[in-house]
Amino acid sequence: MRILLIEDDLKVADYIAKGLRESGYSVEHAADGKSGLVKATSEEYDAMIVDRMLPQVDGLTIIQTMRASGNDTPVLILSALGDVDDRVKGLKAGGDDYLVKPFAFAELLARIEVILRRQESNTTQTKLRIADLEMDLLAHKVTRADQVLNLQPREYKLLEYLMRHAGQVVTRTMLLENVWDYHFDPQTNVIDVHISRLRQKIDKGFERTLLTTVRGAGYKLDDT
Amino acid sequence: MILNKILASFTFRFLTIYIIALSVGVFLLLASLYAWLSKGFLDDVHQSVDRELVALEAAWMDGGAEGFDRFVAEHNGPERLSRYFYIAVNADGEKITGTLEHIPPTRSYRDKWLAFTLEALTGEPEDSNHVFIARSTDLADGTRLLAARQYGDVINTAKLVSAALIRSMIVTIIMGLLGGVIFAGISVRRIGAINQQLHQIMSGNLSARVDSESQAGDYGHLTDNLNNMLDQIEKLMAGVRQVSDNIAHDLRTPLTRLRNNLTALQEDTDLNSRKERVNGLIEEADALLATFNSLLRIAQIETGNRRSEFEKLDLKQLLGDIVEMYEPLAADRNISFSASLSPVAPMCGDRNLLFQCFANLVDNAIKYTPEGGKIELRLAQYADVCQIDIADSGAGIPEAERDKVFERFYRVEAARSEHPGNGLGLSMVAAVLKQHGGEITLKDNRPGLRVVINLNLRSLEPA
Repeated sequence: MRILLIEDDLKVADYIAKGLRESGYSVEHAADGKSGLVKATSEEYDAMIVDRMLPQVDGLTIIQTMRASGNDTPVLILSALGDVDDRVKGLKAGGDDYLVKPFAFAELLARIEVILRRQESNTTQTKLRIADLEMDLLAHKVTRADQVLNLQPREYKLLEYLMRHAGQVVTRTMLLENVWDYHFDPQTNVIDVHISRLRQKIDKGFERTLLTTVRGAGYKLDDT
Repeated sequence: MILNKILASFTFRFLTIYIIALSVGVFLLLASLYAWLSKGFLDDVHQSVDRELVALEAAWMDGGAEGFDRFVAEHNGPERLSRYFYIAVNADGEKITGTLEHIPPTRSYRDKWLAFTLEALTGEPEDSNHVFIARSTDLADGTRLLAARQYGDVINTAKLVSAALIRSMIVTIIMGLLGGVIFAGISVRRIGAINQQLHQIMSGNLSARVDSESQAGDYGHLTDNLNNMLDQIEKLMAGVRQVSDNIAHDLRTPLTRLRNNLTALQEDTDLNSRKERVNGLIEEADALLATFNSLLRIAQIETGNRRSEFEKLDLKQLLGDIVEMYEPLAADRNISFSASLSPVAPMCGDRNLLFQCFANLVDNAIKYTPEGGKIELRLAQYADVCQIDIADSGAGIPEAERDKVFERFYRVEAARSEHPGNGLGLSMVAAVLKQHGGEITLKDNRPGLRVVINLNLRSLEPA
């Protein structure tokens, strides 16, 4: 998987590139907007990480130019500004996700994996399955080992999100944004409680634990 | 150079323009006054000549040349002597009688008025006494009667008046200029003094003030306002200093802990416990980052005009989501969390920030309520006001500290050691509510804390 990183802060770029390489990605780095735009339009990448504030050509312009020429490589926008307004602008310009600095690397990695996977699994599915856990999206029914699980609406949504991103690390912020649809900063472990409730329902009494906590990052639904 | 300053000062320029306008105005006024006066004088002259001619004619008709002479003799008093002249000539133009030698060559103007000049009359050539206005009448027998008045006196009077008018105009201009220079000088000096003091204040001595004792009137108001502004700046600076002091103080503890843990890590040789320690360090660093993020967010909310983010929202649904999100957490701690939410009118707001605000309050309630306690959330609308009540059965907040808890990093002393937290939750709540024009009051719930929030729906009406 090739990732293009356009970031003018060399320290941040090094930190990201190193982390991504350790996670098995090959990374190319462009330190300014112009060379970034040249690379983005002349070569093929699986995903891009673009800083908003760049010398010469700013991040949003790069994305807009790419999208205008029919290039739909998934893009994760990095920004020092945390305004909702900025976030909306970034997504409107054609970004796939938005991450505010400073961020934990785990958060970045999780989001990159999600946007990479989004490309593959865009087909309309009617059933999601992880090991013996099955979700029927049409009937709104969840079963594990053919046993029907009784889930609250929010638990269902939470599980659906986890199942759609099975095998990937899903962070707390991602859950807040996608399952609860609020951008906010919970002071406590409120998400953990929801996760442990869900875990009670899907894992309790089964030998294999599917829903695990990834320390310092988030959660993962996996059948390994 | 004070003169340069005066010349460059706004007051002086303004006064110069003012004087020019004033001069033009005065000139126009005086000119029309002069024209009006001269016309009046001339009319007087015309009228008197008319009267004389009528009387003369009557005297002629009455007594012929003798009657004429009698009239002239009667009318030519010593004062009139040099002013009025009369003559009667026959049809051939020969003098019959009168005080003039002959009818001089005349210019006629304005109908039947005649004007002429007699050089030799007084023997004073530059005198204006030899200009005349006359009128004649022709009788049936061909006799022609003429009455003339010399009007040099009138011209002299007019000249005097115009000279006086010109002089007063010059005096007006000179006085105006002098006044302008003096006023400009005064204002330059006063403003200069204020500017100098402001320079000193800006160059560091923020506690100094502009001297307002010596300034009266408008300048006094100006200096008072400047001083009030400086007071506010000083207060804000003190606030900033206090906040940064607090930040330094409150971040020192976790940083020290971080440092100590790093030292311990250095000495630790066991691989497993090292990993454990690193995880702990990451958590510690994350908490620090979260604190900074919260600080930045509060600052953003407080300074930015985020009304642009406002959208129509249903507060009941939002609070419903809060309950749904926090109920499991409360249940985990064996706290009963009940909500009674009545429908309220739709309003405008930033849903993410409002969610954050209520989440912080509910989170606090759960944090500070002991196991087995209860929390109640209520939403109701009274006229234009939306009231949200969050009541818990926890320790509450001592009355003396109820204002302070909204300050950044302030934490109730008893809570400091027992509960985790960064002391920013309520600052965030206050910032969000301020942005929405809401009010928050902390009350005693006996036992516990009752947070009452009032949102004015009228100011949050959806567009």
